[in-house]
Amino acid sequence: MPEEILIIGGGIAGINAALNIADYGCKVYLVDDTASIGGMMARLDKTFPTNDCSICIESPLMYEVDNHPKIEILTNTEVRRVNKSNGTFTVRLLKKAKFIDEEKCTGCGACMEVCPVSVPDELDGKIGGMRKLISMPFPQAVPNVSVIDPRCRYGKMRDQGACVGGCVVDCSQCRECPIALCVKACKEEGKDAVLLWQSDKPMDIEVKSIIVATGIRSAEPDTGLYGYDIYDNVITNTQFERLMNAGGPTAGQIIRPLDKKHAEKIAWIQCAGRGLAKGLPYCSKVCCMIAAKQTIITKEHDASVDTLIFYNDLKAYGKGFWDFYQKAIENGVKYIRARPYDVFEDPETKNLTVRYENLDTGEIEEEEVEILVLSTGLIPSDRNKRLAKILKIELDNLGFFKEKDPLLTPLETNVEGIYVCGGATGPIDISESVVQASAASMKAVLRGTE
Amino acid sequence: MNEDIRVGVFVCDCGSNIAGFVNVPEVVEYSKGLKNVVFAYEGKWSCSVDALASMQESIKEHNLNRVVIASCTPRTHEPVFKKTVKEAGLNPYLLEFVSIREQVSWVHMKEPEAATEKAKDLVKMGVAKAILLEEGEEIRLPVGTDCMIIGGGMAGMTAALNIAEQGFKAYIVEKQPQLGGILNRVSNVSHNHINMPAAEIVKAKTDLVKANPNITVYTSTDIESVDGYIGNYKFVLNTNGETVNLDISTVIVATGMREIEPEGMFQYGNDPRVITQLQLEGLIKVWNAECGIGKSEIQNPKSKIQIQNVVIINCVGSKNEERGCCSIGCPISVKNALAIKKINEDINVHILYRDLSMVKDEQIHLQAAKAAGIKFVRFPGDRYPEVTKEDGRLSVDVYDLLLGSEYKLPSDLLVLTVGFTGDETIDAIRGHLKVSTNKEGFFQERHIKLGPLDFPSDGVALCGCAKNPKTLKETQEEGIGAAMRASIPMKNGYIEAEGIVADIDLTNCNNCGICYKRCPYGAIKVDENEEPSVIKALCKGCGLCAADCPKECITIVHYSDEQLLAQVEAALEENPEKKILGFVCHWCALGGVDMAGVSRLQYPPNARLIRVMCSARVPIKLIERAFELGAAGVLVVGCEFPTCHYITGNYACETRIKRARRKLAKKGYNTDNLWLAWCSAADGPKFANTMRDMVKQLGIG
Repeated sequence: MPEEILIIGGGIAGINAALNIADYGCKVYLVDDTASIGGMMARLDKTFPTNDCSICIESPLMYEVDNHPKIEILTNTEVRRVNKSNGTFTVRLLKKAKFIDEEKCTGCGACMEVCPVSVPDELDGKIGGMRKLISMPFPQAVPNVSVIDPRCRYGKMRDQGACVGGCVVDCSQCRECPIALCVKACKEEGKDAVLLWQSDKPMDIEVKSIIVATGIRSAEPDTGLYGYDIYDNVITNTQFERLMNAGGPTAGQIIRPLDKKHAEKIAWIQCAGRGLAKGLPYCSKVCCMIAAKQTIITKEHDASVDTLIFYNDLKAYGKGFWDFYQKAIENGVKYIRARPYDVFEDPETKNLTVRYENLDTGEIEEEEVEILVLSTGLIPSDRNKRLAKILKIELDNLGFFKEKDPLLTPLETNVEGIYVCGGATGPIDISESVVQASAASMKAVLRGTE
Repeated sequence: MNEDIRVGVFVCDCGSNIAGFVNVPEVVEYSKGLKNVVFAYEGKWSCSVDALASMQESIKEHNLNRVVIASCTPRTHEPVFKKTVKEAGLNPYLLEFVSIREQVSWVHMKEPEAATEKAKDLVKMGVAKAILLEEGEEIRLPVGTDCMIIGGGMAGMTAALNIAEQGFKAYIVEKQPQLGGILNRVSNVSHNHINMPAAEIVKAKTDLVKANPNITVYTSTDIESVDGYIGNYKFVLNTNGETVNLDISTVIVATGMREIEPEGMFQYGNDPRVITQLQLEGLIKVWNAECGIGKSEIQNPKSKIQIQNVVIINCVGSKNEERGCCSIGCPISVKNALAIKKINEDINVHILYRDLSMVKDEQIHLQAAKAAGIKFVRFPGDRYPEVTKEDGRLSVDVYDLLLGSEYKLPSDLLVLTVGFTGDETIDAIRGHLKVSTNKEGFFQERHIKLGPLDFPSDGVALCGCAKNPKTLKETQEEGIGAAMRASIPMKNGYIEAEGIVADIDLTNCNNCGICYKRCPYGAIKVDENEEPSVIKALCKGCGLCAADCPKECITIVHYSDEQLLAQVEAALEENPEKKILGFVCHWCALGGVDMAGVSRLQYPPNARLIRVMCSARVPIKLIERAFELGAAGVLVVGCEFPTCHYITGNYACETRIKRARRKLAKKGYNTDNLWLAWCSAADGPKFANTMRDMVKQLGIG
């Protein structure tokens, strides 16, 4: 049996599992289908209940992974096929082209400066975040290389002004590009790292265990839910997190995305969409603390901002969480036990009026706010279904990876040798992800030792 | 030092990233004129494979024994260059990294002349330090394969099994006569759709532990004393009056928790009908054994009263100024209410709660409870229910928050969901292992997010309810995870520390003990003569001890006082009145500086930054020296609270800067010119703004 272990997902769970296994002495393939490791945590501003800066505590681990002789990072890479025979897994990976020579690129950014086309960023687009067609996933990305939006090639973004717009030759046919500005800029820097003609590369590996650490995502509210997607200033808690982040599209200024107005009154609606026909049937357990964190940080930015939280049941179940909630109250956050049922926008000011039933008084009341944040909860990653099929492991009725016997043998799946950890198992916070990652890594290295 | 110092300076163009804004040839020429520099070279891309190879050739050809790289940032590229010089036969600790991209070319794009001057200064500072660099090496401490697990509950047993499976020896110490911990007192455990008698789970696990030849169990055993550190622990146990001595390599703490006695609350202690959840678990066990499942009449064995009405009050003694949420009370109350309903569906069960904390799968049980006719009543946190006794009958008055009305519930059995605290041995163990605990009586882990299973001291892991109350699933995950944390050094056979460590010269030591007390990692020990020594493999090199040592006995290898002083003096050699001398910590502050660079935030070029591992490394005498040399201002930047790579370094720095201000004031310096800033690695704008503000306030723009 090979000694190598495959970890699918390079978020905080995958990173921790990789470091544990590599420090233990086994080789790790750390695969992520995005362009950088880091996962959701790399995009957060702070972490509850201490308000540690998220990237500050994660990036040293990312560099450690990058420099670990026992870890091979494979970004932009998908798991395509998995076969198990004699206890060994044979895995077909597909490394999708970044159209960049990762060995040569130094992340200097010259290519991004010359790129003429900006498009909305996947994460920050709704709050005004733009990126170039050639871009860096985020400043601390590992590997620290740029990646090209595949739509850019072969004149597909012609109408948007892409520099290769007029070209009639399929990029994969050329071995150099006389037109593309990024190619030229990179050559001028003496690097020649941009390869528009790069193709996807398959790769086969053999491993003894697989850890699934594919994480979780924030639910996108349905159009119209409390005015989401209709009114300008209704955003999700994930978008608000990016608004607070110094590395986000507003450089950490808490302003309204469209009119750039500094918000003086902000409200959060907890459990947004829960219990609705298409909404989440379960509690995601972290949103209460996320809201507490976001209000505290908002107050740290500007103590004069009014903050309100409409909530129903308060979840302060973890270590230090209750004190954190108390801190939010001390900082002047107003908690209102309420059922909000309607939101409407003032067409002039773009302010939002929230109408709600106050559960303490039984009265119908109103509040006018300048930004409304929807705490929407955590849902399974959209890749779970495909991955479950490839790995032949089961999903639970909610779409998270199912543990065969969560009580007696936690983190084991129905396929012996495949383990899950972190957000792949359900809504979870960072510390629980790290715990599970350590446990899954123990199981992964122990497999086959008896 | 008699050695012939031969410094090579490699200045990188980084394409046009540096060369576009800094006159690199001029910097190279300047370098050649610096003391001990025998070679200086301009490279287009210093980190490319061919450039690294040519760097190695130059090192050999010119017989270089110190290397200064002036390029991007040590945070990303230092490992590459360290590896390169090592392959060229040079000790990697003889390399000094100078950041002229993130700190110069990217942030002073409109001032090429000032940028070039700053780059020269930074190179000069680098060379000044490089001359004083000494060879270093990674330090290894051997670690054996004997693991002590304190606590024989589910967490401890799970950890032991995982340790033993690797062929390592596991020793379990349990103060009770039997294994199983708090789960021995629980009736059933439910998760998702599974519901199992706790006794079965304990038995299955205990059987595995007993059958494993690599596990030794000591029940009815106390720990008398613990001495030592990872790889060298000496445990003395008292097992049934007998003394056992054990040599131990690593330790896992799994001492569990206990229920808090709600003495005097809601008639508890006065009336046998008022019990806690754990006592109810005991009753359910009895009822299940006596009546089986199905419709049967149940009795409270203490009061001998037939039970018709059960009232459960949640959050008793929790969620107030003293204690937080008990973490697991809501699902336990629902589980036990369902168990009662299962025995006799005609019994009325009310759960009085403040907030229902039921997450993900637990929702299933909540729905089942509602379907079984269990009534939920929500009361406000400032208006707890009250218990009254009339004609010998107990009843509970509760204000229903949702209905807005008060009513009376008869109660033959009143169950209080109280919180938990750590085991009573927690203080003793804290003393034995020199670890910390929190105000709720649980152990405090190394980092609440990223070090949940470790203590700051290497080789001591933490798991289960000794950390905070949790479910059985989470407890087992932690047990397995803690086994992994303890296994890594045992599997490798050693732990290794980077060569940046403290070194104590006892010549002037007056045995004050400050270093020993302040070390966050327990890496400094004192012997019977109160003389301190550093266990180098445990030292993380933060430098807190060195900066606080009143006798200046402690040197931090690679960041010695002499080396830092050389940088300060080099920085302030020319035009000090225009300059800000800055100390930035490697982890967050330098991250913020780099972020400002990557984001191309433009700020005035007055600062000359010196990298230290932690802001706690900066001694007062260096700050003083900078002012003596005429610096316009001094800036110290550390991690934003509460983040610190070295746990509490920034707090120590804050205290020390206060002292520095008093000292500077006495000497007649303007203390307004000493700035302290906290900057996260994401906050480039904050660093840039600090620079602008400082330049403005000091009037050196």
